Order: sequence, then structure tokens, then C-alpha cells
Amino acid sequence: MIDLVKQCITMSIPLVLIALAGFFSERGGVINIGLEGKTLLACFFSVAFSSKFGPIPGLALTIIATSLVSLIHWLLTQVYRMDHIISGMAINLLATGATSFFKFRFAADGLQDSAVPPKMLLYALGIIAPIALYWLSHKTKFGLQHRSAGSDPDKARLLGINPQNIRFSALVGTGVLCALAGSLLVAETPQFTDGMTSGRGYIALAALILGGWRPVNAALACLLFGAASALQIQYNGQYIPSEAWKSLPYIVTLFAIAGFLGKNRTPAGLGKP
Amino acid sequence: MKILALIAGGIVLFLASLWAAGANPVTAISQLVTGSVGSASALSGTVREMTPLLILGVSVFLALKAGLFNIGAEGQFVIGACFSAATMLAIGGPLGVVAGVLVGAISGGLWALPAGYIKAFRNGHEVITTIMLNNIAINLTKWLVSGPFKGEKAVSATSATLPVNSQLTPLFKIGQFELPQAVVVGVLLTIGVGYWLSKTTSGYELRAAGANPTAAEFAGVKTKQVTVKAMFLSGAIAGIAGALQIAQFEHRFYDGSSVGYGFDALGVALLAGGNAYGLFASSFLFGALNKGGTSLMGLGIDKGITTMVLAIVIIIFAAVKYRQRGGRND
Repeated sequence: MIDLVKQCITMSIPLVLIALAGFFSERGGVINIGLEGKTLLACFFSVAFSSKFGPIPGLALTIIATSLVSLIHWLLTQVYRMDHIISGMAINLLATGATSFFKFRFAADGLQDSAVPPKMLLYALGIIAPIALYWLSHKTKFGLQHRSAGSDPDKARLLGINPQNIRFSALVGTGVLCALAGSLLVAETPQFTDGMTSGRGYIALAALILGGWRPVNAALACLLFGAASALQIQYNGQYIPSEAWKSLPYIVTLFAIAGFLGKNRTPAGLGKP
Repeated sequence: MKILALIAGGIVLFLASLWAAGANPVTAISQLVTGSVGSASALSGTVREMTPLLILGVSVFLALKAGLFNIGAEGQFVIGACFSAATMLAIGGPLGVVAGVLVGAISGGLWALPAGYIKAFRNGHEVITTIMLNNIAINLTKWLVSGPFKGEKAVSATSATLPVNSQLTPLFKIGQFELPQAVVVGVLLTIGVGYWLSKTTSGYELRAAGANPTAAEFAGVKTKQVTVKAMFLSGAIAGIAGALQIAQFEHRFYDGSSVGYGFDALGVALLAGGNAYGLFASSFLFGALNKGGTSLMGLGIDKGITTMVLAIVIIIFAAVKYRQRGGRND
């Protein structure tokens, strides 16, 4: 039982961090298919920097580097006005290629125990983050501007808010949270392997949609998905094939998108310039 | 000006990456070229890599014309490959191949259908739904091939091998160069779809629905039905790609029969621009990069660099071609 709870937390918290990273950009109006790639890059940065500079400077540098990558997304969608989906896919592709290309040079070996990112701190942040983001989104001026940039960018402009600027901060937020998620994954298995995010970016996106683009609900959806994978690991496909467990989040999301699980709450300005 | 900056940035990123990894750019690039088109056998390899990309490129291209991003080509490909392999094994012989391709087309089309339906009638974005369907397809086929479809003597998760009379032979062979039949089918499909889109009424309706759904609706096009139809056709073509991949090259279905062809196909279709015949050039380029990337590994350079090149090419191309209009501070 204790193992199951532990497993559930291990599986859920990275998802929570990635889903909230998605919350930052999608509530601000930037469709984020690129979460998978950003998190993968964060894993790579975490191994590369932590092995060289130790855990805390490594974490700080990972946050900076991942935020810069996230700003490439801002540059492409907001300055170059590129289609959000194409740019997100391109970032995923770039991340897959770059991490695999550079891993032998910069992240060949696993991390020493002394260099592993601070696991407990990251878990704590993952638990606090949904509430912190709820507060940020609903109780602060930035939150209001952020939501308005995602709901109706044209009206936001009339009120003197520049959606492009708001989205800049939002994508920095995405980068920071992806960096935390990547570092947490590395803290669990202190080594970089190709594609080590294994689709978590997409599952987190699914959780975000299932949670109606709300931080606390999205975190609960992550908990649900995390619990499903924890059960699957625990019972190792004894009663139900493990492939069926793995498909569960995706099937639930399909129904959620189709609006069979309640009202569709897509931010209205998603993907608009 | 902005675009020039982007292109320069892309080139700098590419060269800097090679330099940072300790590789000589000149050697790397020349190896990439000789490894992909430098000899008859290298060229054969490039055509082999190009084949699924061309057919999947047609699939994604068709959807794109209807205003749909079919990220689901990957899932439709593996579903088509898996079910067609089972059919070809069950029936056997040349008839089995024909039935297999048919089953591949139908299963691929059906797999795409929920995405089309949700897009048209439930207002859910096709990119998210097709990504979900991809993951379900990968899990489903993995389960099928490690259980019900598993070959009798197979140790790992793989189907039995096709009997020799169900394996497609090369159309012709000149020395080291082989021309697969599947690529010929791909060429015919490309021409067929290109013709259908530009010369027929139903093709025109599809393009109208993609270009401006409101205007198309006003002009009497049933855009919702067109969306569902386009998604089905796109999935069916992706399914054919899967079936032909089994019949011509792999001869069996196994977990991992696709190495991300569906995602590359999005790049192929985008790079073709608005022109179906552009697919020949773009799938050849992607095929050459895939093949050349493998030969780079001989130099100790990871083939990840070619994935990066593809991403950079897509970014630059999309910045030129797929820009959004509107908004104020342009």
C-alpha cells in the first residue's frame, strides 16, 4: 500500500509540473504541443549541468536554459507569427535530435549521488504549484491579464494589454516548470536516455484539457493518470493488459475533448495572434 | 529581413552543433551526401526511406488541404500495417497482398474517423485527438502483436513472416539499384490525389472547406461532412502506407515497425508547400537525410543531427509559408 502511494506520487508529480507548464502557455493563448520536447531538453540540461556544477547551480542553469528554449517558442509564434502547432512539433523534433546528438558529448555518464537534483524540494514544489498557480491566476493582476490574453487577445489590446508581452512571461513560466519536471525525472533516474520523457508531455497536455485548463483540476487529472500507471506497475498487467492501462489517459481525454465529460472549456483565444 | 535572420540562425545553429560535438562540418556534410545519393546502393536505401514518407506525405497533404493537421498519420500507419499483416498472413499469396492493402486502407481510415467526427461535430482540435489516437494505436498494436497476432515460433513481439509469394519484389533491378513497387504506388497516389484536388468538384469542395469554411458553407459545401471525409481518406492513405511497408520491406509486423514516419510526414507535407508534386522532392529530401544520417554514424556522429536539420528546415519553411495574419503589433 505504501509502495503504491509512493509509486503514485512518483508518477504524478512530474505530470503535474508539465501540465502546469502547459497551463501557463495555453491559458495565455499559445497552443503547446512542444511540452514533450521542452521537458526532454530539461532532462538533458539537468544531467549536463548537474554533473558539471553540482545540484543547486545545475538546477538554476537548467531553469535558465529551458526558459530560453521556451522563448524560442515565443519568438516563433509571436514574432514570426508561425502556426502554433507546427512550431510546437518543430520544437519537439529539435529536442529529440539535439538531445540524442549531444548526449555522448555532454551527458554520457550518469550522475554521481552528490550531483542529483534536490528531489524533495522538487516534489514539494510540485505539490505547492497547483495552488500557487491558482492564486496567481485568480488573485493577481498578472493572472487577469494572462487569462485575458488567452481568452480574447483583441479585447485585451483594447484594454491596453499587449498579449505578446504577457505571453512572453507566460512562456518563461512554461520553461521554468518544464525545467523542474525534467530535473525531477533526472532525480528519479540520474541518467539521460533518448526519449526519457516517454510521452509524458502529451499525457500532461491531456490532463490539462481534462482539467478544463484549470491548475487544481489539471493537477487532479494528473493524479488520476499517475494512479493508473502506478496500479499498472504494481500489478504488472496481471488483471488487465498493461497496454490497456497505458491507453487509459488517452481514451479518457478523447471523450473529454468530444465534450462527453462535461462542458468544453477551451480558452477562446487559443492559437490566435 | 526577419526571414533572412531566421535562415542565418538555422545555419549557424547547424554548424555550431557540429562544431560543439567535435565533428568537422565538411566531412560530415560530404558523408551525408555520399551516404544518401553517392552510390547505387545508397540511392536504393534513400528510395526505401522515401517510400513510406511519400505515401504518408500524400495522406497529411490531403488533410492539410482540408484545413486539418493530421498528426495521426503515425497511428493510422501502424494500425494499417498491423491489420494488413494479419490479413496477408491469413489469406496468403498475391491475393492476400491485395486484400491486405484493402484492409490496411479501411482500418487506417476508420482509425482516423473519431478525429474527423470530433473536429466536425464536437469542436475538438484534431491535433490533440490524433495524438491521443496515436498512443492508443501504438499500445493496441503492441498488445495484438504480443498476443493474438504473435507468430507461432516468435520469441519477441512480432508476427510471423509473410510467405515468399506475398512479399512484393522490386519492380526492377539495375546493378545495385532497386526500384520498389511500393514507391510506384506512392507516385501514382500522389498524381491521383493531386489531380483529384485540382480538377474535380469534390476535390474543389475539400479545398474550399480548408481555405475558408464560412465561405464554403455559404456556397453550399457541407463542410462538416467534407471534414469527416477528408480525415477518413487521409487515414486510409496512411493505412495503405503501412500495408505496403509490410508487403514490400518488412515482411512482418513488429512493435516499432514505424520509426516515427508519421511525424516526418508532417514535415514532408509542409515542405511540399501547396503543391502535391512537391511531395516528390520533399519526401526524397527527407529520405536522403534519414539514409545519410545512418551513414553518419560510421563517422561517430549521431544521426540526431539530421533530425535537427529537419526541424530547422520545417521552422524556416513554416515561417515563410504558414504565417498567421491579424493582430496589431506586426
